[in-house]
Amino acid sequence: MAEKLAANAATKLSHVNVPPAQTWNYLRINDIAFEVPAPVTKGEVLSRLPRLFDAVETGIGTEAASWIVSASGDSRYVEVKAGTHRAEPIVVDVDAAAGTVCDTGVLVREGAEATVVVAAHGTPAEAGTTAALVRIVAERRAHVTLVEVVALGKGSQHLEGIGIDAAEGAMVDVRQYALGGEKVAMGICTNLAGRKARLTQDMRYLARGSEQLDVNHVVRQRGRLTKSEIVTSGILADAAHKTMRETIDLIHGAKGAEGREIETVLVAGDDVVNKTLPTILCDEDDVAGNHGASIGSISPEQLAYLADRGVSTADAEALFARAIFDDAVIHAPEATSRNAALSRAELVLGTEIARDVAEGLGLDEGEEH
Amino acid sequence: MQDTLLTIDGLSAGTEDKPILHDIHLELGSGQTHVLMGPNGAGKSTLGHVIMGDPSYQVTSGSITFDGADITDLTSDKRSLAGIFLSYQAPVEVPGVPLYSFLRTICQMRPELKTTARKFRERVGQICEQLELSDSFLMRELNVGFSGGEKKKVEMLQLLLLQPKLAILDETDSGLDVDALSIVSRGIEAYRAQCDGTLLVITHNTRILERLDVDRTHVMVRGHLVAEGDASLVGEIDASGFSRFEDELAAKGGVA
Amino acid sequence: MSDAPERKHSEVADVDRSLYDFVMPEEGYERYDDGLTPDIVRAISAKKDEPAWMRELRLKALDAFHEMRMASNWGPDVSALDMDHISTYVSPQTKQARNWDDVPDDIKTTFERLGIPEAERESLAGVGAQYDSEIVYHNMREEVAEQGVIYTTIEDALHDPQWEPVVHQYFGTLIPMRDHKFAALHYAVWSGGSFVYVPAGVSLSYPLQSYFRLNASGAGQFEHTLIIVEEGADLHFIEGCSAPKYYEANLHAGAVELFVKDHARLRYSTIENWSKNMFNLNTKRATVGADAKMEWVSGSFGSHVSYLYPTTFLQGARSSCEFTGITFAGATQDLDTGCKVILNGADTTASVDTKSISKDGGVNTFRSSVIIGRRADRARATVSCSSLMLDDISRSDTIPAMDVRNPTASVGHEATIGRISDDTILYLMSRGCSEAEARTMVVNGFANPVSKELPLEYAVEMNNLIKLEMEGAIG
Repeated sequence: MAEKLAANAATKLSHVNVPPAQTWNYLRINDIAFEVPAPVTKGEVLSRLPRLFDAVETGIGTEAASWIVSASGDSRYVEVKAGTHRAEPIVVDVDAAAGTVCDTGVLVREGAEATVVVAAHGTPAEAGTTAALVRIVAERRAHVTLVEVVALGKGSQHLEGIGIDAAEGAMVDVRQYALGGEKVAMGICTNLAGRKARLTQDMRYLARGSEQLDVNHVVRQRGRLTKSEIVTSGILADAAHKTMRETIDLIHGAKGAEGREIETVLVAGDDVVNKTLPTILCDEDDVAGNHGASIGSISPEQLAYLADRGVSTADAEALFARAIFDDAVIHAPEATSRNAALSRAELVLGTEIARDVAEGLGLDEGEEH
Repeated sequence: MQDTLLTIDGLSAGTEDKPILHDIHLELGSGQTHVLMGPNGAGKSTLGHVIMGDPSYQVTSGSITFDGADITDLTSDKRSLAGIFLSYQAPVEVPGVPLYSFLRTICQMRPELKTTARKFRERVGQICEQLELSDSFLMRELNVGFSGGEKKKVEMLQLLLLQPKLAILDETDSGLDVDALSIVSRGIEAYRAQCDGTLLVITHNTRILERLDVDRTHVMVRGHLVAEGDASLVGEIDASGFSRFEDELAAKGGVA
Repeated sequence: MSDAPERKHSEVADVDRSLYDFVMPEEGYERYDDGLTPDIVRAISAKKDEPAWMRELRLKALDAFHEMRMASNWGPDVSALDMDHISTYVSPQTKQARNWDDVPDDIKTTFERLGIPEAERESLAGVGAQYDSEIVYHNMREEVAEQGVIYTTIEDALHDPQWEPVVHQYFGTLIPMRDHKFAALHYAVWSGGSFVYVPAGVSLSYPLQSYFRLNASGAGQFEHTLIIVEEGADLHFIEGCSAPKYYEANLHAGAVELFVKDHARLRYSTIENWSKNMFNLNTKRATVGADAKMEWVSGSFGSHVSYLYPTTFLQGARSSCEFTGITFAGATQDLDTGCKVILNGADTTASVDTKSISKDGGVNTFRSSVIIGRRADRARATVSCSSLMLDDISRSDTIPAMDVRNPTASVGHEATIGRISDDTILYLMSRGCSEAEARTMVVNGFANPVSKELPLEYAVEMNNLIKLEMEGAIG
């Protein structure tokens, strides 16, 4: 873990979050570079994940993934037995205070059901680098739910690379909440390899101050009748900087595949930089690919509707921010991710509203909707 | 005579290029139920939106007094906080905002409704049950992907939560099937019963009025209020339509 | 659906291109050596007897060309393009004519077969015709000339003391020499093209048209088009291009610089039907003043490889840009097309509407960028692209980038990819259409938003192209 990183020596990761299809380099949208501590080798024998995980493509790119593997030291392997339902979530706890860099492999066997949580948390005092690499293999008819919460503070940089392989009939539900962090790269690649494998992916983000959020969403649709539905929405305030790459790759042979992505961005700051690269790659005719994006301030119709219910323009922006935290807290399946979102909410929304978020969702009574 | 809640006095309004409402006089007594009827395009919805303060219409003359205060120049959020509610014909979709966050926010900004989150949740739960709306809707984005009937129920949910002094229901009955219509009707009744609220029901369909105790009926034709009567006027319109009023207006030369 | 597509296709393909696919002898032509050296560049410059500044610009550009690299991380492969086997200057031994009777017979026949003199008589205000490296015909109606409109070659403008300073002022300012490797090449060896000047307030009721024909094999065409539309003026400019098919690579690296001043309007229509051995690495750019309007209509049917992204800078407040484009990629074609719009002025609007059709293993890439600058208050942009896949061996990628830096701006984007639904075909067949007719009908309908923006004879030409291409697709 932390002791695996040299205190001073730095390594440069030049191409993080590279999308499958790139475009003009002067747009500076093709990748992001990270300065990370150089891994230290002490000649130990470390546990490595089973080989099958090597074949799992992560959205963050091979350069960053290899760095995480070498910087993490020990890896963690979890297997969920065929036909079982694992009630307790598999939690990847990324703690800025400990400088966590970790490598996790999860094998969800045929027909099994499991929830994976990746929660990155830290206070503004805890500057530094954290990283998580999570590779998931979902066998036939497995059902995987993945919840990612990134709730870091000022001065922190974080790399989160996810790769998921979905076999025939496997279902993958992903929820991503990017709630804070000075420089955050989240790259997820889902390989819908088997017939009728399906992905639903829902991302909410809030970036403010001088935060930099860099996202790479890739879905490879290889299997026949595979289906993906990707929804992303977020708010950019102050001088936040966001790059969102979304790629639906409809591969030759994926007859009957459907891919859909929708993005909504609310821009609420004068110095915001908002980059989007929504790509559809299509090598098959019997498919349907769709993308829709809308970028801008809150529409006049929405403002009028909200005003008619007593919400002024200033209140409306606060409402949109609160909504992201409400959504994160309600979908956080366990304490680490929930607390990560709540403590970030306190910082962003203030104590009173953060408490209201917590109470409103029944957390004080330990019940959920 | 009860207290007057809303007084519209000599109001003319329209869009930049087109006058729509002409010299409207209307008084709503506290706790009363008024019906505003008229053919399509008569300006009924415009009147509802002008009372709410929709910035796409300009008031060219006249005033609107609500609860003793002149609100003609107030923005719509202020009017809402003062106790006016307008239910939309086609509620706007607001992606990114779960219904729960929205409801909680609009209640917490009203001192009279401020309460603990727990009590609030209970209250919302009760109303959802009343409206036969699954509480899973609470975590869905506001109006996004809701069916017509679901959107109307969400409007009723807000009405019952906010308990406004004046509720303007703009064609709340349009496009609803019989079941949804009866749920909405029950919602309106509940609103009347709970807080003795004042209602202005805008409709061109008399079905929704069957279960309401109507005090006054107003008829609007081409932006003019041309007739006023008691509940029996509804029956008359039901039987013979609006042509009589249109003819009368034309005879008076009041064609705008 | 297609029982014997290969055989039928090659049959049709042979017939298909006959309109464009004929070769005229090159005997007696002046042809410079293949490859690219300072001597060749000096020779071109000397032949044109041009000002020293232009010669210096060419030599600087040559250095830039040798220095620069193509991006390795995106775009179609151009490795088959070997500059050592391309002649950058080929000229027929003829003087520029103002009368078709003065044009040599073989060249005149070429343009007659392409329908140019006929179109000129019927519906154009002026015509320029380029054959290989030089303009062979240039003429404009008298009444247009009387309004002060200039329509000539850049070479002629450079020899005119009144226009040389204007060319000097504008030439190469919109497309920088180092924009990309082939822009540098263009500036080193450019030849031919058009210079158009429309004075303030002048509105042309008929379009001007330039037609570019590359007859020589293993050669390049590098025309430069410079158009200045002064304040309140209005122009429609049409550009057509074609070439016969060879087995050797041909190269087209033209440049188009368009200056649209305040309150002016420019419509720039292109139907490009290069042969399928052509590398089309063309650069087009417009800058638009306040309350002015730039309209692009672009149909790309030909070439082996295309890199083509007309670019618009909306500099003035309330300026607007409309881009309507269609790209049809068939066998052996890899067409990377799209557009770029940079919105810098307040209240600017851009709307991009593109269609692509892929068949027989053709590759279509729609690539765009919409950039909204910090000062572009209330700017609005919409991008809509739809792609039609006609079989499962073709490919269609959509790669639109957006960069928004103003909080009051709004951008909408939508993209769809799919094929013709079986239901639609069935429905049309149930009404008596053959399958081929039904598919052609659907594809024509798909392309209609573009063809309706074209002048009639071009719309007819486009529909014919689609029809012929479609016949090839169906067994």
